[in-house]
Amino acid sequence: MKSKIATLLALTTAGALLTSGCAPARTDDAGVIDYWLWDSAQQPGYQACADAFEAANPGLKVKITQFGWDDYWSKLTAGFIADQAPDVFTNHVGKYPQFVDLQVLVPLDDLQATQSINDSDYAPGLADLWKGQDGKRYGVPKDWDTVGYFYDEKVTDAAGITREQLLSMDWNPEDGGSFEKIIAHLTVDTAGVRGDEPGFNKNSVAVYGLASEGAGGENLGQTQWGAYTGTLGWSPLDKNPWGTRFNLDDPEFQKAMAWYYGLVDKGYMPSFEVFGRNSGSYQQVAQRKAVLGMNGSWMISTFATIPDAKLAVAPTPVGPSGQRSSPLNGLADSVTRFAEDKEAAGKWVAYMGSHECQMKIAEAGVVFPARPEATQRSVEVRREAGLDVSPFTVHVEEGTGFTLAVTTNAADISALTVPGFEAVFVGQQDVSSLTELNSQINRLLQLTQ
Amino acid sequence: MTAAAVSAHTVGSAKPFPIGKVLAWTFMGIIMVITIVPFYWMIRTALSSNAALYSGSSSLLPANFNVGSFARVFGIQTGEAAIAQGGSGQSIDFWRYLGNSLVVASLVTAGQVFFSACAAYAFSRLKWRGRDVVYSLFLGGLMVPAIFTFLPNFVLIKNLGLIDSLLGISLPTMLMTPFAVFFLRQFFMNVPVELEEAALLDGSSKIGNFFRLILPMSSAPIATLSVLTFIASWNDYFWPLMVSYSDNSRVLTVGLGVFKAQTPQTGPDWSGLMAATLIAAIPMLVLFALSAKRIVNSIGFSGIK
Amino acid sequence: MSNTPVASGSAKKRSRSDLPLAVLMIAPAFIGLAVFLLWPTIYGIGLSFTNFNLLTPPKFVGFNNYIRMIEDPMFWNAAWVTVYYVVVNIGVQTVLALGIAVLMHRLTQSMIVRSLILTPYLVSNVVAALVFFWILDNQLGIGNHILVSMGLERIPFLSQDATVIPTIALINVWRHVGYTALLIFAGLQTIPESAYEAAKVDGASEWQTFWRITVPLLRPILALVLIRTIIGSFQVFDTVAVTTAGGPVNSSRVLQLYIYNMAFGRFQFGYASALSVGLMVILVVITFLQYRLTRAGDTDLN
Repeated sequence: MKSKIATLLALTTAGALLTSGCAPARTDDAGVIDYWLWDSAQQPGYQACADAFEAANPGLKVKITQFGWDDYWSKLTAGFIADQAPDVFTNHVGKYPQFVDLQVLVPLDDLQATQSINDSDYAPGLADLWKGQDGKRYGVPKDWDTVGYFYDEKVTDAAGITREQLLSMDWNPEDGGSFEKIIAHLTVDTAGVRGDEPGFNKNSVAVYGLASEGAGGENLGQTQWGAYTGTLGWSPLDKNPWGTRFNLDDPEFQKAMAWYYGLVDKGYMPSFEVFGRNSGSYQQVAQRKAVLGMNGSWMISTFATIPDAKLAVAPTPVGPSGQRSSPLNGLADSVTRFAEDKEAAGKWVAYMGSHECQMKIAEAGVVFPARPEATQRSVEVRREAGLDVSPFTVHVEEGTGFTLAVTTNAADISALTVPGFEAVFVGQQDVSSLTELNSQINRLLQLTQ
Repeated sequence: MTAAAVSAHTVGSAKPFPIGKVLAWTFMGIIMVITIVPFYWMIRTALSSNAALYSGSSSLLPANFNVGSFARVFGIQTGEAAIAQGGSGQSIDFWRYLGNSLVVASLVTAGQVFFSACAAYAFSRLKWRGRDVVYSLFLGGLMVPAIFTFLPNFVLIKNLGLIDSLLGISLPTMLMTPFAVFFLRQFFMNVPVELEEAALLDGSSKIGNFFRLILPMSSAPIATLSVLTFIASWNDYFWPLMVSYSDNSRVLTVGLGVFKAQTPQTGPDWSGLMAATLIAAIPMLVLFALSAKRIVNSIGFSGIK
Repeated sequence: MSNTPVASGSAKKRSRSDLPLAVLMIAPAFIGLAVFLLWPTIYGIGLSFTNFNLLTPPKFVGFNNYIRMIEDPMFWNAAWVTVYYVVVNIGVQTVLALGIAVLMHRLTQSMIVRSLILTPYLVSNVVAALVFFWILDNQLGIGNHILVSMGLERIPFLSQDATVIPTIALINVWRHVGYTALLIFAGLQTIPESAYEAAKVDGASEWQTFWRITVPLLRPILALVLIRTIIGSFQVFDTVAVTTAGGPVNSSRVLQLYIYNMAFGRFQFGYASALSVGLMVILVVITFLQYRLTRAGDTDLN
């Protein structure tokens, strides 16, 4: 018995030593380009691109890995630290400046395949977002997005809200305008009383007029309140990109925030507690717990999967400026300094920004590709599928999109803004606490300039 | 702790009323139910479909019975099928994680127990200058909380080029832990000196004594230590999370974290997630079922010594 | 524990030092100790005086990290959240474990009961966290289904600040209580039966016996168990990382999570090292105080 145990022990040890000894320390196999993205819905489209790329470039392989948004960034930063970062990854304007500071990105002007990227091939302004303070290009634009409200037309029809009403909503920070009237009407309590009717019980709501997407601290309200504050002529930074002062202390802004978070108290929007971290506007709309679900255009194909719904999109409301507004963001692909074959990585990045791959992405119908002709195709694909996506494209046509804040020290700033806005959302703090938050951020930016 | 006290009262005295005993068994019953029900719920969810779960089914039996979740976890379902069933469509290879966990836990257990036993022997049975000084260093190591060594060890493992390798995960605990040395030394000291002397007279060497006398006579504490080390290593999360970056070195706990992080935008793949947790739990539960008595006794054993 | 070396008669006879053999046998363990425990301790303290970010060379910054730590409200919040967690976790766990252990001792010696009670300990914290994450989900979890069917309000266990820490603490009680109970149970078995018989002869009730015999005689074991569980409890990370990631707001941002994010999310290895020193100081102080208070070294059995 004892000798058996001893043999077993010896065997497992030997086996374990062998296995671990043979395991390669590095994951990079020759010719394999390691590519990361965070959106599971986009993976099939890029897989199609990767297949075509591999066929055109014998000897090169693309390995796509996807992580959820939160984990994506922690894995990526940890990967930089541990020399285990991917060769190419989907980058975000809010994040890349810090990576430039940490010297982990390769300037694409230095790579053969990407040095001749032409700004004018892409939708206006997209390419400029990816030029660092040093003037060098750190990403090739791949797509753009704006926000709008997803809803099930069957539900709005039943509530007597017409498409025309939804297309012509207006908003102001005092009483929320016709937008608030509509979401009030769409809200129904458990007794069947609507939010704009007498006897409405805001403490027992069955269906919320507007879905909740959390507090919005991370990307400054991209899918929460950015579309409203944008119509005040307010912008988060003194200049964008590379601003050095935030404007969260603006009283007009704080008034709009008080209005937005106040929707919870009125019962028109679920509080943080109701859905927690597991559920965003998609789940709330899909489960018929909310009617209007604000989200980005990248969610079109996901919302389209809701069973038994007649999906439609409404544009963001017209605000005090007399115009609509929407955060306009564009993603790009970057090459890391950890890539073993940087030229090959550059080729893959250039390919993803090429007409060929962008048209494939258009066919996949998930996001709007960065090239105008591909965007056009994407809109057609959606129209053929019976969905009018002009509420998203209108912001590009009318120039009412504003780009997300681009600053240095993004990780430190979001470590402040995420809990800061969440505290107001859950009611721990008053909106005036944003003034203190603002001075903390500005102090941080000052210290690191 | 009134329930406990009341029950003890009834058991001890001449049981005038069984009420105390009933209460005590009720308390014990509730504890048992709370202990076991989550395991059942894991199985039930893993065998349900996400669509049924999201429609709010609270049936106690699997809702819309299917085993697609297990197919997703072992990566034998196509991406499209996985997405259609509420998965992320990501390839995930639990067989590999299972193997990695097994290698890491075996490596750590075998190495730690053996090397600690060697050291414990030198500290308990060999005579050499400086023994107490060196031993006090080990006792001092007992005071350093693990958290404190994580960051520097990460830098070290990185500099050794062992990031993302199973050896990198194992190494820091593979050579010893102060507790293991301390624990085994206590037992080796209890082996009668006379036995060793007799063996020496018979021509055995000290090293021979270690293998032929001390180790066999201490098989119970060695088994205890092995079991505890194996469980701890198998369940560790923080350190492997820092060190592993790809399937090469991903152990089950980290694989689970990744599986959760791959939450599709449609919401968590609850069914797949529970299938994954079940798979991560099963090897230990099987081990436990096979040797529950030994493990239960082991834990008591480690507490009193 | 005894630190006195065992004098070996045969060694005296041979009168030769075992030094070469000892060096050989201690070498692997000593390398392990020096490389992965002692050196990291010194190196970690050193790092805490730099602005190291792992990517660019470190710069010495003196006590800046420590000054920042003292002024950092997030650090104090994390310390407070961690203490709150430990109090709930250890409080509930110890009381429950004591109860279960006494019952296992006095009510039933069934091996099945003891095995079942230990089962959760066999799965990892991550598994435990995920299972309860699902059971306690506000909309779909069975926990809230049951509450609603009983006519109660839903409780957003993991998404409101009032319940998040107690919930996480109880999840970990679920996993660890059986283990703790078995440790205490082993301690109970060391109490001589004669002590109970004497109490019975004196006509003491079980309640009195519990307080007059069990508790005092169990104290040394209890103290050791407490030191071990408290130190483990302070290093809570897995459950929080998997379920709430520190939220809502900062209400579950425990120290180890703050340290991890600081190092691996914000590249501030130097400051994260200083925070680790802070946590270590807390642990050492608590261990010391507890050791003094409970006189863990003494045993009333002697």
